[in-house]
Amino acid sequence: MFLKPNTPPAADADIVGVEHIDGLYSYALVLSRNRSEAEDLVQETYVRALGAMGRLRPESNMKSWLFTILRNIWLNQLRQRRTAPQIVEMDVEGINAGIGTKTADDDDPYALYASTVERNQVREAIQQLPAESREIILLREYEELSYQEIATILDCPAGTVMSRLARARAKLRALLSPTLLTTVQSRKEVIE
Amino acid sequence: MNAHDEHRANILLYLDNELRGQDIEDFLAHLDNCADCRRLLEEERALSNLLHRTRPLYTAPEPLRARIAAIAEQPATFGDMRESKHKHLLRFGWRNIRRSGFRWMALAAMIIFIVLGLTLVPTVVRHAEAATFIDTAVTTHRAYQENQLPLEIRSNSPEAVTAWFAGKVPFQFRLPSSQSLPGGHPAYALTGARLVKFRNENAALVTYQMKSEAISLLVASDKSAVAAGGDEIRSGSLTFHYNTRAELNVITWSTHGITYALVSSIHGSAQHSCMVCHQDMADQGSFK
Repeated sequence: MFLKPNTPPAADADIVGVEHIDGLYSYALVLSRNRSEAEDLVQETYVRALGAMGRLRPESNMKSWLFTILRNIWLNQLRQRRTAPQIVEMDVEGINAGIGTKTADDDDPYALYASTVERNQVREAIQQLPAESREIILLREYEELSYQEIATILDCPAGTVMSRLARARAKLRALLSPTLLTTVQSRKEVIE
Repeated sequence: MNAHDEHRANILLYLDNELRGQDIEDFLAHLDNCADCRRLLEEERALSNLLHRTRPLYTAPEPLRARIAAIAEQPATFGDMRESKHKHLLRFGWRNIRRSGFRWMALAAMIIFIVLGLTLVPTVVRHAEAATFIDTAVTTHRAYQENQLPLEIRSNSPEAVTAWFAGKVPFQFRLPSSQSLPGGHPAYALTGARLVKFRNENAALVTYQMKSEAISLLVASDKSAVAAGGDEIRSGSLTFHYNTRAELNVITWSTHGITYALVSSIHGSAQHSCMVCHQDMADQGSFK
């Protein structure tokens, strides 16, 4: 079921599955690293999900299902590109600088500034990772999917998820070490 | 791999709530004696905290949200026909559809009729299944209060109770520690647990005490238990369903393949029920 009966369909919260739109968009961006491609991927995901909604059992995990659909669309697009190569515009800088995210600190200018700087550092570090690492960090740390759910989406054993995640975190920790150091120092100053 | 290496490998599993039963106990015991692992755990935790502070990584732009809402708004058929119609709508917009005349209206009316049939029937079934789970949770709570369901483990340790359930229920779960109110007092206290049956499968009954109120938590696999209906309260990615049955309040929710039903006699609105435990906690603003 995509819409709840007797509710205005335009309201995001009333559409089943739309609560995952930020997660799906983030996943699409870490896969494609291109804003317009990411938007197309998310849109196509919802179109296909709507088409297949009748086949979804009530007990199914809708979140994992949506992420799996998005990934399959992306993999199909990659296959098609191999047979018909085309130039893809990478706009990593644009996606990191140009997309705002509301935070809980919107009323405090300094907190907002610090949070924005930190968020951009994290985004840049993640976008420097290989695709395999980017997607597994997103699925685990941002979407909080279990290892088994991630294994289902990536179509690989749970053990592979564990090893990929460990590698991805090690790379990310190295890339973010200055940010992590700053965070620790700031907290010490607050305590003192 | 020696024992120390094995415990180092468990650091991420522990942080990600993927360690189960005795493995948690073994890991925590090792941590007490290994400064190296404690340091590594703190480093990994710091990285996780940093990433969690930046959630969501990106926010979908408003035009995309509007397009998705429009996709969901359109009346549609099923299967490939529905898919192709939506693609058409997205490509050419509403104006072109209006031009094609009255036959679209007749087709749309038929499509709406079919879609309503396809969508309302699963909704009714789902709500009936959710009601069964709620009724079971209430019956179990009453039986526990009337000493007809004695606890099989009495403990205030979430780790001990979690470990006790390992291998006994067809799902894996971990009990959280009680969050403290200002002043260091826990909001509620774990008292124990036992196994119960739900649809021929083992389910977990976990009991808590909050001042003079007994609270019970029925935990079952989401393959057999459904959370739906009632007043909905959203907190992050979770949706809580608030219902009342025979002067008892029941809050149900599903996450990570498990469905929960929290039963208590605490009175008030849906949001108020959440606030009873969460009013002074950091996440109190997240219940909407």
